[in-house]
Amino acid sequence: MSTLDIGGSQLDASWFLLLSAVLFSLGAVGVLVRRNPLVILISIELMLNAANLTLVTFSRQLQNMEGQLFALMSMTVAAAEAVVGLAILVDIFRVRDAEDVDDLSELKG
Amino acid sequence: MAIAVFFVAAAVALIGGIGVVSFHQPIRSVLSLVLVMLALSVIFLLLSAQFVFAVQIIVYAGAVMVLFLFVITLLGPARELGRGRLRYQGWLSALFVLVMLGLMWTLLQGVQYRQPDKTDMSFFGTVQSIGVGLFTTYLYPFELTSILLLVAAIGAIYLSRKRIDDL
Amino acid sequence: MSNAALALLILLFPAGGAVVLAGRGWRLPRIFTVIVGPGVVWLSFIATMALFLGNANGDFTYWTWIKSGSFSVPFGLLIDNLSLFMCFVITGVGGLIVTYSVGYMEHEDGPSYARFFCYMDIFVFSMLLLVLADNLVFLIVGWAMVGLSSYLLIGFWYQRRSAVLAARKAFVMNVIGDVGMILGTFVLFVNVHSVSYSGVFDSLVRLCPANSNCNGDSGWLELAAFLLLVGAIAKSAQLPLHTWLPDAMEGPTPVSALIHAATMVTAGVYLVGRMHLIYDIATYAHAAVAIIGAVTALFAATIAIVQVDIKRVLAYSTMIQIGYMFLAVGIGAYSAGFFHLLSHAFFKALLFLAAGNVIHAMHDEQDMRKYGGLWRDMRLTSITFLVGSLSLVGVIPLVGFFSKEQILGLAFSKPDDAMVQILWLVGAATALITGFYTGRMWWLSFWGKPSPQRPVEHPHAPRLVMMVPVATLAVLAIVGGFIETRALGLGLSAVSDFLGKVVGPPAWEDTGVAVALGLVTMLLGAALFAGAMRIRPWSSYVPWAQTLLERKYYFDDIYAAAFVRPLDWVAGVAFRDVERPVIDAAVVDTGRLTRWTSVEASRNLQTGYFRNYVLVFVVGVVAIGGGLVIMRALS
Repeated sequence: MSTLDIGGSQLDASWFLLLSAVLFSLGAVGVLVRRNPLVILISIELMLNAANLTLVTFSRQLQNMEGQLFALMSMTVAAAEAVVGLAILVDIFRVRDAEDVDDLSELKG
Repeated sequence: MAIAVFFVAAAVALIGGIGVVSFHQPIRSVLSLVLVMLALSVIFLLLSAQFVFAVQIIVYAGAVMVLFLFVITLLGPARELGRGRLRYQGWLSALFVLVMLGLMWTLLQGVQYRQPDKTDMSFFGTVQSIGVGLFTTYLYPFELTSILLLVAAIGAIYLSRKRIDDL
Repeated sequence: MSNAALALLILLFPAGGAVVLAGRGWRLPRIFTVIVGPGVVWLSFIATMALFLGNANGDFTYWTWIKSGSFSVPFGLLIDNLSLFMCFVITGVGGLIVTYSVGYMEHEDGPSYARFFCYMDIFVFSMLLLVLADNLVFLIVGWAMVGLSSYLLIGFWYQRRSAVLAARKAFVMNVIGDVGMILGTFVLFVNVHSVSYSGVFDSLVRLCPANSNCNGDSGWLELAAFLLLVGAIAKSAQLPLHTWLPDAMEGPTPVSALIHAATMVTAGVYLVGRMHLIYDIATYAHAAVAIIGAVTALFAATIAIVQVDIKRVLAYSTMIQIGYMFLAVGIGAYSAGFFHLLSHAFFKALLFLAAGNVIHAMHDEQDMRKYGGLWRDMRLTSITFLVGSLSLVGVIPLVGFFSKEQILGLAFSKPDDAMVQILWLVGAATALITGFYTGRMWWLSFWGKPSPQRPVEHPHAPRLVMMVPVATLAVLAIVGGFIETRALGLGLSAVSDFLGKVVGPPAWEDTGVAVALGLVTMLLGAALFAGAMRIRPWSSYVPWAQTLLERKYYFDDIYAAAFVRPLDWVAGVAFRDVERPVIDAAVVDTGRLTRWTSVEASRNLQTGYFRNYVLVFVVGVVAIGGGLVIMRALS
């Protein structure tokens, strides 16, 4: 049931899912380890993409359009979130140098 | 042939992912992410998601990433220097993320794949099917998402307005 | 008013007085305490008188205190001749003493003054409860509360270390007695399944008819009798639990008069009398009562010779007289023992209060060697003290003669009992020694030239409120004897008749020989009294004997080494190595742990660093995922 018939060859859906898991973990590591706020936001985008991959994979496996529609919504939300996040970042950067997220550990300013 | 495409795309995505996390210069991270997105869009195409493939390239890689690039240009190329203040963050993160990956893999082993629905595969993933879905069954989330975008736009405008006291 | 209500009022008056004085009385002007403190005792006396005149008799139950299955302990009061007799002593003599202390304690400040009378009222209440209770449980409640009152009153001047130590010593020894009482009650309960007097006595009559040996199985009764005797010994300061009584003289003189002469120390005698049915059957325990009494008397008499503190002489003399009472009830002469209780209450309270007059006038100086010649300055006190002393020695026609010689006469003439003659000899010897040390006490304090070490040049005569009770007691000591003149083998026997309804009629009569011997003993005793200052006690010729007596036969030292120091050591170990590290640690550290987890630990989670928070997210995801995996694996 997990085999997908793509272009004549047989692929297994679990490969896609595994790739998605690895990308997600990479994104998580990025959020946790990097200190530049921009890179953190980028890593979040990576995680979102990985999730989208899972959705589309299952959509294909179940042959149901819902997964792809969900992925579309997810992309929209990701876009909105990136916009607002970046706007906040720019706003902070006006006041002080935001190179290290650890510097932003106080709410003041 | 599809298998080969998949593996190449997967490899590119992985390299891009590692690049996102590893580069010290943010601009290189952004470009790596673009690479990842392109690879993923190819994979989407493999999975018969034509519309999503197109949207991924146009909207995600084309618009959102460009936004990131603009911000980097605005903020200046900053390099991450030094080791940072949290000493155990790196080790603990690696540990937990590895555990999480292991968990996901375990959960993956136990996935019970359902029988696929009986659909007409000729229409699967086409613009038409997307349109039908968006405007009939999923009209409500569609409208909400557009409001969300509106809100985000307003928010961005507000946040980046000119202040009297600086600039 | 019904008898039941009157009986309850006897108890409620002093209880109410204590509560009022403790609650408000110490803030009100002194006149309030002066009226309430002694007043409630007199009210109880009136209630007792009312019951006596109405020939009241009955076992009144007011409510059930404990009820557990078939075991129930009611709060009940027993009104019979014996309890009324004891109530008269307690409220009458007690009333006089409490009135006296209005004057004696006048130098105390307001709250302390009220505190004293509050404690005295608590004591009167406890003692009344003890004698009125109709079951063993409330007897023990009264017993323990009397011990508490004694502690509170001995340590009344708590700023004095010696007083605090004495109070503690008295309390601890009383507790030993309490344990004996409780164990004795247990033994009785196990065998007769009742704690009320009526239940116990009825069962006894059933189980052990006509004083037989309970069908050969009276071991449990002997055990119970011995255990109860332990309580009596502790409370009445007999050997070997006697060491607290001399130290108890640290308390104010009215306390010594009331508690350690007239009432509390007589509780042991009351116990044996009330339980006479038990002791009639348990012959070994019964014999032990008499022997302990006689031995204590002789023992205390020898120590009294070398005492220099006037109150200590009186304390040892109390020990002796209670020994006589124990001797009496121990040989079966219950009424005689109680008559001596009454007469002792009269003259011992008289002696203590008169001594209090002296102490008060001499600004709290109690060393007799610093007195001398008080006859000139305090004539009335000297006379009353003389009356008390002669009564103590047992000179006719004072009450002490009739009561003491009655005991000795009955001891001598008891039929079918050779051992009792030995006890008579001990008692007679003690009477002679009593003559000696009492005389020494009187001559030293009141006659001769004033000692150069006298603290006050001209001691003032006591106030009226202090003199009237003393005078009243003196009068009672003079005329009291005439209600029971059986010591002379003729005349009235009002006490024996009165108490005979409860403790049984006197089983034998004084023989003529006994009466004659009694008169001879009296004359010898009086002679020793008169010539006391001219005799040097033999102990002064033998230094080690003198030391032996002055150290009270080393009893205090032995107890300290054998019991006090080891227990102190155990307590120290327990405190250092158990209390602090284990118990305190458990309690304190529980609190600290709670505070740590809620404050320190939680505070450390709020680092402020964004990345830490994301890490927490991931940890959470891992936890949930792990939980799911485990659940799936298990199902």
